[in-house]
Amino acid sequence: MPVAAVEARRIRYGYGAAPVLDGLDLSVHAGQFVVLTGPNGSGKSTLIKLMVGLLTPDSGEVLILGKPASRRSVQRKVGYAPQSSPGRMVLPVSVIELVEAGVAPPGSLLSRPGPEERAEVSAALESVGLGELANECVFELSGGQQQRAVIARALVGDKPVLILDEPTTGIDPAFRPRLVQDLRERSDAGAAVIVVSHDPDDFHDVCDRILFMEDGRVRDVAHEEFHAGEVAK
Amino acid sequence: MIDVLITQEFGQRALVAATLIGVVAPFVGAFLVQRRLSLVGDGVGHLALAGVALGALIGVSGTWSALMVALLGAGLLELLRVRGRLTGDLSLALLFYLGIAAGAVGLSLAGRFNTSALGILFGSLFSISWGDVLLIAVLGAIVVLSVVLLYRPLLAVALDEETARAAGLPVDLLNLLLVGLTALLVVGGMRVVGLLLVAALMVVPVAAGSKVAHSFRATLGWAVVVGAASAWVGLMIAAGQGELVPGGTIVLTSIVAFIVFAAIGRRAAVAHRPRKST
Repeated sequence: MPVAAVEARRIRYGYGAAPVLDGLDLSVHAGQFVVLTGPNGSGKSTLIKLMVGLLTPDSGEVLILGKPASRRSVQRKVGYAPQSSPGRMVLPVSVIELVEAGVAPPGSLLSRPGPEERAEVSAALESVGLGELANECVFELSGGQQQRAVIARALVGDKPVLILDEPTTGIDPAFRPRLVQDLRERSDAGAAVIVVSHDPDDFHDVCDRILFMEDGRVRDVAHEEFHAGEVAK
Repeated sequence: MIDVLITQEFGQRALVAATLIGVVAPFVGAFLVQRRLSLVGDGVGHLALAGVALGALIGVSGTWSALMVALLGAGLLELLRVRGRLTGDLSLALLFYLGIAAGAVGLSLAGRFNTSALGILFGSLFSISWGDVLLIAVLGAIVVLSVVLLYRPLLAVALDEETARAAGLPVDLLNLLLVGLTALLVVGGMRVVGLLLVAALMVVPVAAGSKVAHSFRATLGWAVVVGAASAWVGLMIAAGQGELVPGGTIVLTSIVAFIVFAAIGRRAAVAHRPRKST
């Protein structure tokens, strides 16, 4: 049995007395394209913050490729795109600078981007259709383009695990199929892709699983069940 | 009078020291501004005043005691911020008041308030020694080398702390390093433009550069140019007039540069206005 790309075991996590996640189990394998959905407040964002090591569970454990998610060497193998666009910037930052920030120096903090890393950054920018805007200031992009730049930052380097929070929100509907297809191709190439979305319709045709969160736990739902409205969106 | 900057040794020392601070300050300031911590330099500067007073009381060099207190204070500030014990502005306010009050009391107790306070707060550029210049050069070299070597991770943290943490970067360590470099710079600039104004050279040239640049790197480049040019022009004004405090003229020059750059700039540095279609 191969090691799961992402595994959560009996996770319990709460911000106060009532736990947001309560005994949650989850296993996502390499090559799977998973959509995580559920109502507001169901704990989707909390779960992905546990997956990328930003939060530590009160009990239970989250493993990435068999190792604790909070370990730095493990975190470098996860591409993470938060939902927010880079709207809090004070100084001008070019698109390429933003995306290069996703290339965490692999061994030494002192390493400089080599030709391979530059090629990876260019490829990620092309994936989200921002290749021609690489040297533009992020300020000058639309909100959707900024979100695509954030996604490109997560895609740099062909990481084995990709976790994206609402990647299609705010993005031009005409571009969404291209992004979804790119994620599918990455999944086919062996990456475990986990997408949080309020609207799984964007991913319906390409995803392998739809996971529905409620009552602090997560369960698989069939595509048909979801679209028949048998689960509360 | 301006020729004293070339012909007289005290003028040469002033010119070299001011240029060094003007060039080096933006290397730290750019990251502070991006992280919305523009006033950290001021907070650390106030603590350095308490350090100078401590040195006067226990009979050690004011520069070294200022350096120690500034480094410890900067570390404490970051620790309090990270642990969430204090919000950024509250912790800064406490540092401001603690530093300035402890400095005033300490210098008074040491009987040096009247002779030292003005020079520490507003600089004493024309009376520095070559030893001071060497110290500024060494501290400046440490700052520039650190930023150049750690540019990528420092920028990643400045752009998005949460994503940088999720990417496995040692965010807390890098933040601690940045405030530590701020402390080095504050003490380095203490004799040049004074503790009250050194933070301005970290922030104002960066703000000016941001008005005409398209990227962080270009902003930093412009800021270095503005910092150095402000040092020269401000020093020439002070030397030419003869009565003006150089620290004040240098900082005022940088503010004039900011206004000029803002007038010719193509974008607001703070405002985030999408202009192109998705």
